[in-house]
Amino acid sequence: MVGIVVVSHSHVLARSAVEIAREMLHGRGVDIAIAAGLDETTFGTDAVKVQEAVEQVDGPGGVLVLMDLGSAVLSAELALDLLDPEISSRVRLCAAPLVEGLVAAAVAAAGGASLADVESEALAALAGKQAHLHPGTDSAVETEAPVAAGEPEVRATFTVTNTHGLHARPAARLAAEVRTLDARVLLRNVTTGSSAVPGSSLSRVATLGALAGHEVEVAATGSQAREAVDHIVALAARTFDEVEDDAVTSTASPVDGSGRADPSAVPLSGTGRSEAGETPDANGGPYPASPGIGIGPSWSPGLAALELSDDDLVPGAEPAVEWRRVPGAVAAARREIVHTRARTARELGESDASVFDAHLMLLDDEELLDEVRRRVEAGESAPAAWSGAVRAVAAELDALGDDYLRARAADVRAVHDQVLSVLLGRSSEFEARDGVLVASDLTPAQAAALHRDVVVGIVLAYGSPTSHSAILARSRGIPAVVGAGEDVLAVPDGTTVAFDGDTGRLVIDPDPDTLVEFKTEAAERERRLEEALQVARQPAVTRDGVEVHVAANVGSVTDAEAAAAHGADLAGLVRTEFLFLERDSAPSVDEQETSYRAVVEALDGRRAVVRTLDVGGDKPLPYVAQPAELNPFLGVRGLRLALARPELLRDQLRALCRVAVDHPVSIMFPMVSQVDEVLAARRILDDVLREERVVGGGHGDTDGARSLPGLEVGMMIEVPSAALKAASFAPYVDFFSIGTNDLTQYALAAERGNDALASLADPLDPGVLQLVSAVCRAVSGSDVRVAVCGEIASDPVAAPLLLGLGVDELSVGPYAVPEVKQAVRELDLGECRELAGRALAAVSASSVRALRSP
Amino acid sequence: MSNAITLSALTAWVREFGALIDTHKDELTQLDSAIGDADHGINMDRGMAAVLAALDGEEFPSNAALFKKIGMTLVSSVGGASGPLYGTFFLRFGAACGDAAEVDPEGFAKAMRAGLDGVVARGKAEAGDKTMYDALAPAVDALDDAIASGSELRAALRAAAGAAESGRDATTPMLARKGRASYLGERSVGHQDPGATSAALLMRAAASALG
Repeated sequence: MVGIVVVSHSHVLARSAVEIAREMLHGRGVDIAIAAGLDETTFGTDAVKVQEAVEQVDGPGGVLVLMDLGSAVLSAELALDLLDPEISSRVRLCAAPLVEGLVAAAVAAAGGASLADVESEALAALAGKQAHLHPGTDSAVETEAPVAAGEPEVRATFTVTNTHGLHARPAARLAAEVRTLDARVLLRNVTTGSSAVPGSSLSRVATLGALAGHEVEVAATGSQAREAVDHIVALAARTFDEVEDDAVTSTASPVDGSGRADPSAVPLSGTGRSEAGETPDANGGPYPASPGIGIGPSWSPGLAALELSDDDLVPGAEPAVEWRRVPGAVAAARREIVHTRARTARELGESDASVFDAHLMLLDDEELLDEVRRRVEAGESAPAAWSGAVRAVAAELDALGDDYLRARAADVRAVHDQVLSVLLGRSSEFEARDGVLVASDLTPAQAAALHRDVVVGIVLAYGSPTSHSAILARSRGIPAVVGAGEDVLAVPDGTTVAFDGDTGRLVIDPDPDTLVEFKTEAAERERRLEEALQVARQPAVTRDGVEVHVAANVGSVTDAEAAAAHGADLAGLVRTEFLFLERDSAPSVDEQETSYRAVVEALDGRRAVVRTLDVGGDKPLPYVAQPAELNPFLGVRGLRLALARPELLRDQLRALCRVAVDHPVSIMFPMVSQVDEVLAARRILDDVLREERVVGGGHGDTDGARSLPGLEVGMMIEVPSAALKAASFAPYVDFFSIGTNDLTQYALAAERGNDALASLADPLDPGVLQLVSAVCRAVSGSDVRVAVCGEIASDPVAAPLLLGLGVDELSVGPYAVPEVKQAVRELDLGECRELAGRALAAVSASSVRALRSP
Repeated sequence: MSNAITLSALTAWVREFGALIDTHKDELTQLDSAIGDADHGINMDRGMAAVLAALDGEEFPSNAALFKKIGMTLVSSVGGASGPLYGTFFLRFGAACGDAAEVDPEGFAKAMRAGLDGVVARGKAEAGDKTMYDALAPAVDALDDAIASGSELRAALRAAAGAAESGRDATTPMLARKGRASYLGERSVGHQDPGATSAALLMRAAASALG
């Protein structure tokens, strides 16, 4: 992979630029090093730092260096002199603008692009902004040299040898080549006698109708005219880098020659996998993400019903304003495609990913955008103009009389739909339909909107079992598998899909026997679930007579109702973020009190363990100024943020204390690593109690009027050091709640949500279990209780281990409560302890998981 | 070699340069505030202070080692474009002086030329761009001429310092074409270039320390 170095006068600028770029990477790793500022606050650049930064990210893929101005350039050049020649030979100093270039380079590097490609992506990075600010001008999309009269022209001809002619992908390759050079290139199909088209315009190159054997003339002017012609002729000689398999396999669908689908293309009839059966296991997936059997017709969101209504045809504003919608939508579509391309490149390889280059080129296509603009200026609405112009290109391709080229029109239509859906505001919302939802990934908001009454299962091509979407699927009780691979996206709507969210087994279009197998298993589980539900309200007592509290994790009133209905003994984790996110100002004390009261009342007398606001730089709140952080998960979050902004914490505690007057409430502080933090938070709580003229129960009593005997105070344990220091915290809390998701992420240095690490970040890793054990041992014999509120608590393999280690309470998704209770009832704590002892000595999570199998 | 310049003389030159920068840092910054980012004096002073600190208490076996230390220290502590430019100057200067612990006047002139070439390679400046080159280049030319015509080192260095100062003064009417000042275009005309000013100090330091 290509490493990236950012050279800037300002450390803060560089760090923030990297932060912006990382947002585009969605957790995928790219080595980016910073050489910026003489120190954190002094502006300046330092060639030695640049040298060290290059060495830090250097690898066989090479290093791209982006700079701001002046001395940054000189220092970078000097660094090349200082570097080992072997290293400096694979370093490129790139003239791209720092921020735009960095974002483009980071995305390209994450997609596994070569150094030259990363550089050309970076160099082209201004295109979007230029198109937005100066639409329609020549410099809008690329930096072509103006044609000076009498400028010498370089000409050559080549013969198309690609089996299917100069279709979209080779055309995209050609146009990409042209764009990197300072030359104006015109192409003409000599065989058909076509007129000349600009080589930088993908849509125009495709209209040359250049088939195998056709002769194409290249004419170039500009300072790099010679290079442009040479490069194009050389490209043509190597069939525009098309893999021969791709080039010879004929297909009449947007599925490319290798049989893999283009996920953003519109599926035609008969598209998709020809073979039914188990999905391949190449990437280790699919991973079980939410338990249960899912069987049903598949459906995929989006791309449906993109017909323009009468309203869509009316421009919302004067042409100049209406036009501005187009570049915005194009940019949004570009982001989506770049994202998908990077994933495809990583998981399936560069050749498969290159189909998206054609899509991206279309979005950059100056000719196409000019046509859209012309239509807008003539009074069309943005959606109508976009749709009309792009459909015209597709129709031109359709009319070329070649099956393969006609099929390429599907690429154009895919892009058409993608941009149009943004223009129509249908990009991320979709109507849930009956059956199994098949998608590339879901945003947490999308996952949260799904209901198990409608959606019987979720199959995601990407994602990890610990991603927020997976967690939401579990809390919704919808079976899910993730990381199923891109192939699932080719499954046509309506195909029967069956999967097991407990094991990750996934079968597309199962044969009757397999289907019966799944249905039998589903019925069996249904029966067991029914049985469990019957006795869910009774306590979970182990065979040797120990009662274990099985609690529910709750994030809304609906969850709280489900928790009560499924027999949870208490709500072991009430998340409060929902009240704080997606708004412009902090909720008032009264509003918070009302919301908490609604949740607590839905719990019907059960204790609510309410976690104070747990956000950080990854989910910045507009009303909480937070400096950008390179790694928000190791930044100011949870209690750290609350103590930095005590007024937020104070309001929240005040609202909770008011609810605690008439309901059993526990307050829990997240992301604690220091005893002082707990003490500081408790002082604020004491202040609030004093002001509210009530007295807290448990620890930390002070003088006051009314008593809150039921109020308890506890803390989350997500930080490994807190687990190891549990004995120091114990005097100041009533309980610990171990957040195994974050604890695992921090202990294994494996970011949650990074699908490449899905198999690494297993909470059953013996290292994590050691930490859980340390917490339990620290409070053994005291009255401080230990709960586990991470996802692992509902894992049937994990429950006996956790109880064996000394955990008193399991807090799980509300729908999992009955089954977890049933599982507890079958356990013997003595056996659990013995099992836990062996797990602590195991070498890996997989050997821990193997322990229970006889 | 009776008239060879010793390592300690070379060190004295650099110390004198540092002292001059310190004395003139406000002037340099003021010049830079007219057409640049108002940091040339501060940057150079920070860099030379770091150089002087690095020289204290360390023995250098050779010209090359001494000037490598000086160059690398400037590269890492100046911060602005002068860092890589002066850094490159001294690195190339030291490399051309070689591994001896002294250098004769011809060798010194050659090393100056090598340093100047380094500045050109790094900054891609040409005569008349309103940069340090406009002071340094005439100085190196004058040094070459004087030594070639048999002048004493003392006289040659004075001629070089004088040429640097004339070159510096000639930058005032120039239109900046490099560096931060180039963003000002016509407005850069009428101001003396700070880089040429510090380069003239370098030559003045040579004249007083080595002459």
